[in-house]
Amino acid sequence: MMIEAKQLIELNNQKRTGLSEENEKYYSDFLIYMRLQLSLSEQQTEEILMEILDHIIDGQREGKTARMILGDAPKAYADDIIEQLPTEKKRNVVTFISSLALNLLGYFMLFRGLLLLIGPMFKDISSEVYPVTSGILVLIIFISSLIGVKIIFSIIKHSLFKEKQTPVKDSIKAGTMGMVSMGIIICATYFLPDLGPSFLFPWYASFITGGTLLGTSYLLKK
Amino acid sequence: MSIRSQLLKGILDGCVLSVIEKEPVYGYELSKKLQSSGLQDVSEGTIYPVLLRLQKNNLIRGEMQPSDSGPNRKYYYLTEEGHSALSDISREWEQIVSPVTSLLKRGHHDD
Repeated sequence: MMIEAKQLIELNNQKRTGLSEENEKYYSDFLIYMRLQLSLSEQQTEEILMEILDHIIDGQREGKTARMILGDAPKAYADDIIEQLPTEKKRNVVTFISSLALNLLGYFMLFRGLLLLIGPMFKDISSEVYPVTSGILVLIIFISSLIGVKIIFSIIKHSLFKEKQTPVKDSIKAGTMGMVSMGIIICATYFLPDLGPSFLFPWYASFITGGTLLGTSYLLKK
Repeated sequence: MSIRSQLLKGILDGCVLSVIEKEPVYGYELSKKLQSSGLQDVSEGTIYPVLLRLQKNNLIRGEMQPSDSGPNRKYYYLTEEGHSALSDISREWEQIVSPVTSLLKRGHHDD
């Protein structure tokens, strides 16, 4: 009998409410640190997280704390576990990232379609598209979101396993990072010249493309 | 690291395998059994990296099933390879333990 990762996460959320405050804090840091390891098999990660949670709950009944069970160095302990876990299958990673990218692009197309449909009532908007320019723009957006995710993950990782949390400092760091990448994207949109050939891409074509992309992304996820 | 924990680290795989051989157990039971056998300073958490490594090497396999106390637990079973690995380990151990015991006893006597 195998329980899927999704159900394990759900079950984990329920069971975690049974932990004492001290144990909850200790275990949650451990859990977040483990889940941030995106290259690891999700199924295996959730299974070991559940086993350890069960162990802490059993121990709690006998008056033991998570610290007594897993030791004073939770990060080193987590690294020991991580070293033994298998990595996620390449196929799953590729499917996940492409379904995410299709999803984003799909919503973008729907939004563009809507803009082109309503916009002309107020202002002249061209439905001309420059594939080269758009391609560069998409690449810039993709890379800056990737870097953004990396930086946010490292901020979270640094905030774990500490006696003293620094939420204000962390939010400022994350906020600055968000503004900088937003700025880069807006500047790129504004200043990138129209390059290469162009074609007309009217609102209904945008809608149809967006719908198709979202449908594909949905199918990929299943 | 103390001498004791270094020694234990080397032989913990064998201890875990032999507990599982007697009967399938889940993590908490395993740590209880190791401690009640006298290995009280095996901290409970250390068994999980060991269990994962043994699984990776196909010496044991885990299976979710209802426990005595009710909820589902991951029970560990010895595989074919696990059985033969365990016989290897206990044979090696026997070959080491008696010479080492007699050597160290004499050393103790000289003090």
